[in-house]
Amino acid sequence: MSRPTAPKTSFLATLMDIPRNVWSSIFRNPLPSNDLERSATSFTNFFLHIHPVKVHKNSLRPAYTFGLGLISFFLFVILIVSGILLMFYYVPSTTQAYDRMLDLRGSVAFGTLLRNMHRWAAHGMVAVVFLHLCRVFLTGSYKKPREFNWVVGVILFLLTLFMSFTGYLLPWDQLAFWAITVGTAIAGYAPVIGKDIQFLLMGGTSVGQEALLRFYVLHVAVLPAILTLMIAIHFWRIRKDGGLSRPEDADPKVTLEPMETSSAPKASVLEPKKVYGFQGLVRGPLTKVGQIPDNTVFSWPNLFLAELFTFVVTLSAILILSLLFNAPLEEPVNALHPPNPAKAPWYFLGLQEMVSYSAFWGGIGVPGIFVLLLLGTPYLDRGPKGVGKWFSRDRLLANTIFITFVVANIIFVIIGTFFRGANWAFVTPW
Amino acid sequence: MAVNLKRSSGEDSDGGKTSRRKMLGWLTGAGLFGSAALSAVSNFVFIKPRATYGQPQRFSVGKPEDFPEGTRAILASRGICIVRDGARLAAISTTCTHLGCTVGSADTGFACPCHGSRFDQDGNVTGGPAPRPLPWFQITLAPNGEIEVDKDIEIAPGSYLTL
Ligand code: HEM
Ligand code: FES
Repeated sequence: MSRPTAPKTSFLATLMDIPRNVWSSIFRNPLPSNDLERSATSFTNFFLHIHPVKVHKNSLRPAYTFGLGLISFFLFVILIVSGILLMFYYVPSTTQAYDRMLDLRGSVAFGTLLRNMHRWAAHGMVAVVFLHLCRVFLTGSYKKPREFNWVVGVILFLLTLFMSFTGYLLPWDQLAFWAITVGTAIAGYAPVIGKDIQFLLMGGTSVGQEALLRFYVLHVAVLPAILTLMIAIHFWRIRKDGGLSRPEDADPKVTLEPMETSSAPKASVLEPKKVYGFQGLVRGPLTKVGQIPDNTVFSWPNLFLAELFTFVVTLSAILILSLLFNAPLEEPVNALHPPNPAKAPWYFLGLQEMVSYSAFWGGIGVPGIFVLLLLGTPYLDRGPKGVGKWFSRDRLLANTIFITFVVANIIFVIIGTFFRGANWAFVTPW
Repeated sequence: MAVNLKRSSGEDSDGGKTSRRKMLGWLTGAGLFGSAALSAVSNFVFIKPRATYGQPQRFSVGKPEDFPEGTRAILASRGICIVRDGARLAAISTTCTHLGCTVGSADTGFACPCHGSRFDQDGNVTGGPAPRPLPWFQITLAPNGEIEVDKDIEIAPGSYLTL
């Protein structure tokens, strides 16, 4: 790769070589032109090495994942970048926060754009993470060995909601204040520790300066740190669980003959006195090299191009949305007069609708049961069939229950969004 | 090159070592875990404020003459409604018992904009998800002739201060 250089090179030539030498000191691997270099590209680059060298063709099928997990991640990246930039101007104080929102609009270069991007990416992330959850469920991808990664996923979903809940207060406008007043009061209905949680969240008995500061700290430090850690675990587990799930018939069955030289095929029973060669440990005493039809392709360029494409589409979509629509900003907080009706953000309106029947059941009971069911799914539904296919007939029951829950929630969201007017009375939007 | 897969069970020829080693292991684990749990709890103790910075819960709202017969005055910044009925005075909370929105006055009493709870003139729930009536607060006449309300002390609905 590196050409032997003549012992005496002119100083000028050294200078001329600097760009190339710097480049090759960072990227030891040349742009790949053969399979060896293609695999080296994946594992010699810090950012690429979380990927496998080769991926299964099924994992690259757009209609299998719709790239939803990846889009969630890219939205998170956009949120981090735009959020850090917003932090340069934002002050978490009840007397200044709202004015800073106006400043972002009026006197900060790209202020409106960045605020819009942060807002729409946040809404987008809630929606896309939920769709990703649906995709994982409806393809049965939570089954063995991915049970734990599903649990990590449910935690990621809750963290995403909590991120958006804490961010909601920060503009300190009417919408923010009343949504958080109601939201923290719902927490107060939780059994035993509810009142303590409410008090800890608000740092007092009502939503004010203390609550704003607490929500700010949670929103910019605590939750992003936890979310980042959980995403790292999520990604690591995808690799350790053998890549993405795929249907059983994605790889044709082959029967393998034991090699003559290998020991009897009971290598999995670790007998204390036996000693094995390394090859025997890797995949048992059978060598499969060259015998299995290879359904994988190199990550470079197949996977990386797909990821780049997804990123460009995600970023463009957020940019276009942000140029077309401005993030709302209501009147500044008036703690004396709630807007009528006082509505939470759309993804919490299903909850708000249920809460209007009963604070405990709508706000704690039903959502709590739903989350417990989600967490328990992979441990309750143990049947090995139907993994890797959308709407598999083998998983009819599980999918039906899941879809029922989702549709019920969507109906509640629609009622809360369009059919509720002043004093939360039933109205028709037409 | 070969690899030895013998599990180290800790069992030596002179048995009994195992249990001591195990015991020490358990103790170390329990100690570490216990300290970690304690530190975690102490974080919450730290973020639980001892003093809050809100408004005082006990305040004066003016002289009885400020509230002539038949008044129902919502003092929004205090979160109460002062009711004058003949020679009797009461302070009723305007914080909805459902989820803490501020109720407004309505023909029949109070109504909440957030999820549609409705209350009668005395704060009793007449509709919607509110689980409890609006609380009544202690109301007293201070020596200087001013009306004092203490939001820390709830009293039975219907107990007025008679002038
Ligand atoms: C912050 C939110 C999340 C991010 C950034 C994220 C990211 C990803 C990515 C990039 C993948 C690779 C496949 C794909 O793109 O679909 C994936 C797979 C997976 N995710 Fe997530 N995810 C998130 C939330 C969730 C949630 C809410 C769940 C479910 C409760 C979940 C469960 C899973 C599982 C089980 C897999 C493996 C799927 C398979 O093997 O087919 N994730 N995730
Ligand atoms: S807060 Fe008043 S009805 Fe919900």
